Amino acid sequence: MKKRKMYFRMITASLLRRRSRMIIALLAIAIGATILSGLLTIYIDVPRQMRTQFRNYGANMILTPAEERIQPEAVAAALSFISQDEIVGVAPYRYETVRINDRPVLAAATDMQGAKAASPFWRVDGEWPDSDGEIMVGKNVADLYLLRVGSKTTATYMPEEATEDTLDNSSDFTVTGILDTGGKEEDYVYMSFADMQQLTGKDKGYDVCELSVSADAEGLRAYADRITGELSSVNAKLVKRVTQSEDTVLSKLQALVLLVTVVVLMLTMICVATTMTAVVAERRKEIGLRKALGASNSSIIAEFMGEGIVLGAVGGLLGALLGFWFAQTVSVNVFNSSIVLMPWLVPVTLLASVLVTAIACMIPIRSATDVDPALVLKGE
Amino acid sequence: MFIRMIAKAFFRQWKKMAMIAFTIALGASLATAMLSVMLDVGDKVNQELKAYGANITVVPKGTSVLSSLYEMGEDENISGAYLKEEELGKIKTIFWAFNIADYAPFVNAELTLDNGDTVKMRGTWFNHHLSLPTGEELDAGVTSMRSWWDVIAGDWLDEQDDSGLMQAMVGRDLAEKEGLHAGDVLHLQGSSADAEVKITGIFDAGGDEDSEIYVPLDLAQDLAGLEGKIDSIEVSALTTPDNELAEKAAKDPSSLSVSQYETWYCTAYVSSICYQIEEVISDSVASAVRQVADSEGQILEKTQLLMVLITILSLIGAALGICNLVTASVMERSQEIGLMKAIGAHNIAITALVLTEIFCTALIGTALGFFAGIGFAQIIGHTVFQSAISVKPMVVPIVIVLVALVTLVGCIPAIRMLQSLRPTEVLHGR
Repeated sequence: MKKRKMYFRMITASLLRRRSRMIIALLAIAIGATILSGLLTIYIDVPRQMRTQFRNYGANMILTPAEERIQPEAVAAALSFISQDEIVGVAPYRYETVRINDRPVLAAATDMQGAKAASPFWRVDGEWPDSDGEIMVGKNVADLYLLRVGSKTTATYMPEEATEDTLDNSSDFTVTGILDTGGKEEDYVYMSFADMQQLTGKDKGYDVCELSVSADAEGLRAYADRITGELSSVNAKLVKRVTQSEDTVLSKLQALVLLVTVVVLMLTMICVATTMTAVVAERRKEIGLRKALGASNSSIIAEFMGEGIVLGAVGGLLGALLGFWFAQTVSVNVFNSSIVLMPWLVPVTLLASVLVTAIACMIPIRSATDVDPALVLKGE
Repeated sequence: MFIRMIAKAFFRQWKKMAMIAFTIALGASLATAMLSVMLDVGDKVNQELKAYGANITVVPKGTSVLSSLYEMGEDENISGAYLKEEELGKIKTIFWAFNIADYAPFVNAELTLDNGDTVKMRGTWFNHHLSLPTGEELDAGVTSMRSWWDVIAGDWLDEQDDSGLMQAMVGRDLAEKEGLHAGDVLHLQGSSADAEVKITGIFDAGGDEDSEIYVPLDLAQDLAGLEGKIDSIEVSALTTPDNELAEKAAKDPSSLSVSQYETWYCTAYVSSICYQIEEVISDSVASAVRQVADSEGQILEKTQLLMVLITILSLIGAALGICNLVTASVMERSQEIGLMKAIGAHNIAITALVLTEIFCTALIGTALGFFAGIGFAQIIGHTVFQSAISVKPMVVPIVIVLVALVTLVGCIPAIRMLQSLRPTEVLHGR
């Protein structure tokens, strides 16, 4: 009992007395631990964060009707197969040919909020329509019909079973935005479902529904297979260009962060080890003196190791917290979202820093204890 | 005497000096590797993002407004406007020619099969070999621009193949519908000629292309009677993410002041590259494919920012590591310095001695570390991107200044301690 008490006293006294040295050692370990926990957190969290960035490429799954049209209930049923927090955007579309100035143009009815979320790359000059009677037109349509933001126009719809005396339906619209995508979307006119229904008198079925889901290619394929398999009215297809490319690029990015993490960690750990070695090597004389006074090698090693472990643990804890703070800063700055706390990283960081410290201390202690105390004390 | 003392210090204490040099080398290599990777990551990721395909499309003036409006989604060219094939090479002569990674022309037409079915044909480059006037050699075409296509049977069409047979690739849906297999010979009837083609491969593109047939550009032009004419060009360019200037310029380049215009023209914005393509291809409209161009910018920015932050962390780590070791190793020598003071050395002389020793060591360490760092950067480059990381010259001064600064800062606490050192106390061993 007494012996153990003495052991603790020696360790704490040594740590407190040699303050400046110990602060150096502690700092070194804390830096190493910060880098370890910070980079590991980033490495693990980056794919998730990056995946949300890749959703900028727009829809990666398309629901098409097996028969005539998809009903809203079928879309809801399909969505229930996908985990809710993975759904980034849902944009149903219904296409009809309408006439503006007696020239045909394709009109698409959609849920504006959904389209905005599913296709973040759409550039709208002006505003997205947010009430009935407002439309957004593609750039090409705007050029052709000389429409600008704020212009008013009339769209007419000719029912298919038109006879001589049926009148065309027509509605007045205000253009709130002009859409620039560089793709075929520029040839369409976008309006709300309510407007479309009023104009054409047709029900609410969708021609196609675009989904933007934040999942990897395999997860997406599983969802698509399940939706197609279990719902008879809907076929789910993946947009290969988006899913495949995303996996290619993302795996590269992850490999990059992994390799950077490995290189940085390796170098930092060696750096920490050399500093610890320098701090301990300074105490060769002390080791020699103790040996001369009759201390056994094992008791010297035990004491120095005790010190090292205390330092490693304190430094590791400090580093784990700082590392989390760093990862959080990075995440907020880069991705505007906070990081997922991984509690298991704390013990891992602690263990790694204790281990590195112990190994780093071991080398100079070994060399000092192996030598004849007389030589060490003499300074050779 | 000064030089002799320093030389002695190196020989006598080479172990300690070696350790300092080693730590500094580690720090310097870390800084070099991270800075090189950080500065080059934009280009590398940009190159990877080419997997998403073209970010610029070029069409003849007029069709961009008319084409699909009347025919409702059909790709039939009704306006009669075409781009000229002979001008294609000019795309590689624009100001940002170096940033044009890949491009491919397209000709669209309808063909009739022997059983009377009509199919959509696209004529394009597959791996078209270009020898540019600048001496650059380039294989351009859809083989690299449609990286997401899976060739489910057979192989990609090889334009350099000189077996004499004309070739084609068929989409999966079309192949299923017509019962076609890789290796089959198919008779195609175009509007002005017909041809026998060998199907080299069947692809799964996961889109509309699955019901189309792809043939080399010259064959398509023969079949459709459109010699020397093309419908559209897809260009894949390495671009800089847009900023306010680029957005302003994209709307109307003439709204810029002269200096703004120069900045814009000489930056690889997608809008300035479009503008330059319009300059060399007569009667054309080049527009950015927002889906690819915008997302690319976003992802590039995020990756670069991420790498900058990681680099800063590792630089701080390297700096503190070096700093720490320098402090520790100077403090360790308190006895020696006490002795020097006792026999009459001035503070300034001791400081100069210690600083010179450390800086000589640091110099060796930095040199070693720099080359090790380049090595690490190359390992990262080759493992992740299968290409070398180009080391920018600006990395050299940054690393040198960083190491010098850090070493100096590391010496400050130690030197303050040395100056306040009382020789009697130290020599006494307290």
